[in-house]
Amino acid sequence: MKFVVGIVCVALINLGMAGAASAAIVDTSALVTPDRAADMGVVRTQLDRADVRAKMTEMGVDAAAVDSRLASLSDRELHKLAVDLQNAPAGGDVVWIIGAVFIVLIILELTGVIDIFKKT
Amino acid sequence: MKKRAAPQAARFAFLAASLLLLSACVTREPFIPANLPAGARAHVELAATPFYPQKKYQCGPAALAAVLGASNVDVTADALVPVVYLPARHGSLQVEMLAAPRKFGRLAYPLSRNLDSVIAELSAGRPVLVLHNYGLPSWPRWHYAVVIGYDSARDEFILRSGTKRRTEWSARTFMVAWHNGGRWAMVVLRPGEIPASADPTLYLDAAADFERAAKPEDSRAAFDAAVQRWPQQPVAWIGRGTAEYRAGRFANAARDYAEAVRLDPENAGARNNLAQSLLDLGCPARAREQLAPVEIDALASPLREAVLDTRRHIDAAVSASPVIDESRCSPPP
Repeated sequence: MKFVVGIVCVALINLGMAGAASAAIVDTSALVTPDRAADMGVVRTQLDRADVRAKMTEMGVDAAAVDSRLASLSDRELHKLAVDLQNAPAGGDVVWIIGAVFIVLIILELTGVIDIFKKT
Repeated sequence: MKKRAAPQAARFAFLAASLLLLSACVTREPFIPANLPAGARAHVELAATPFYPQKKYQCGPAALAAVLGASNVDVTADALVPVVYLPARHGSLQVEMLAAPRKFGRLAYPLSRNLDSVIAELSAGRPVLVLHNYGLPSWPRWHYAVVIGYDSARDEFILRSGTKRRTEWSARTFMVAWHNGGRWAMVVLRPGEIPASADPTLYLDAAADFERAAKPEDSRAAFDAAVQRWPQQPVAWIGRGTAEYRAGRFANAARDYAEAVRLDPENAGARNNLAQSLLDLGCPARAREQLAPVEIDALASPLREAVLDTRRHIDAAVSASPVIDESRCSPPP
């Protein structure tokens, strides 16, 4: 009997702690840049998550892997993906025809016809 | 159509050749010597960086496996395909490249967009993952590669890229591809490691994004390093406090949050977290004092909801036992 009471007590204490931790401590990521986090409410985050999950599955990511990928993201990152999953740079392959364009660019740069670093 | 293609190609070749000849007349400043930070070595090659030849479109997983390997994480490029590869985009996104190291207890730090930070990291022994654009700014073709070194005298970078284990690039060629790719670069850090080129805002942002996916001890190490390096930054103390809180060490958490409040009395997030920690320590009156100056209406979500929650918890604690002896609670900071 004592044993059961002990388990119940531990469970209750854990419950209290988990409740407190999830309820009121604010993630540091919500505090680093308050203006950027302005629309990062709970509802917004849930919408972002559903949105990104659907898009990623549609884009060929294995359904089982999607949740694990989303789990690594902060709310800010999730929002960034929700906004820009289709158009954000996606580093992939380089085929020779692209190499040719690049070589022309390099030659133009080297010869001073263009100077892409002028502004910096 | 075919008839016209040959003269066009010849004209193109002529143009290219004459431009190449012309290049002999143009002098350009070397890049690496001009961006060598104080104390950086003149020649670096991190030859121990692992190499994974990329498969079709999968330079993201290959480059990531290399920088993780250099940080003592044993993972192959193939194992990272389900983590960062996006089949319909034939590539990997920057956000996911930054997030993936968290699965292995590492945090990614995106470098400031200048060459000296890349050089500083290499000189400190960290390979740098970069995003290149081999197309045009208006017609981009993206590629991830890993810079493993440089030679200041020859003005060259040494890279692991695509299917090439080791390739040397003139710094100017590298810069064209990097500049057109938005000058994006990242390094992988062990929790507690501060990058050589560290900027407090970039680092604290990276540590904050690391926080939720990380173990409390790893998150603590990341913010503890920030507290040592930038003790005037409230966010560094808030982050360490939250790691302490998540580990159940409420007194330590309260001490760190209190320091953040001392540095930035207007910081409602720090006050909220301090109040919650004080409440957990059995000090609701002290907790209430912390929230007194906070103006709820001025707050954005999710901070607003959190402060309202904390207030409710405090009220509940006070009404549950109106007379609490708080003499053991430390005085407010």
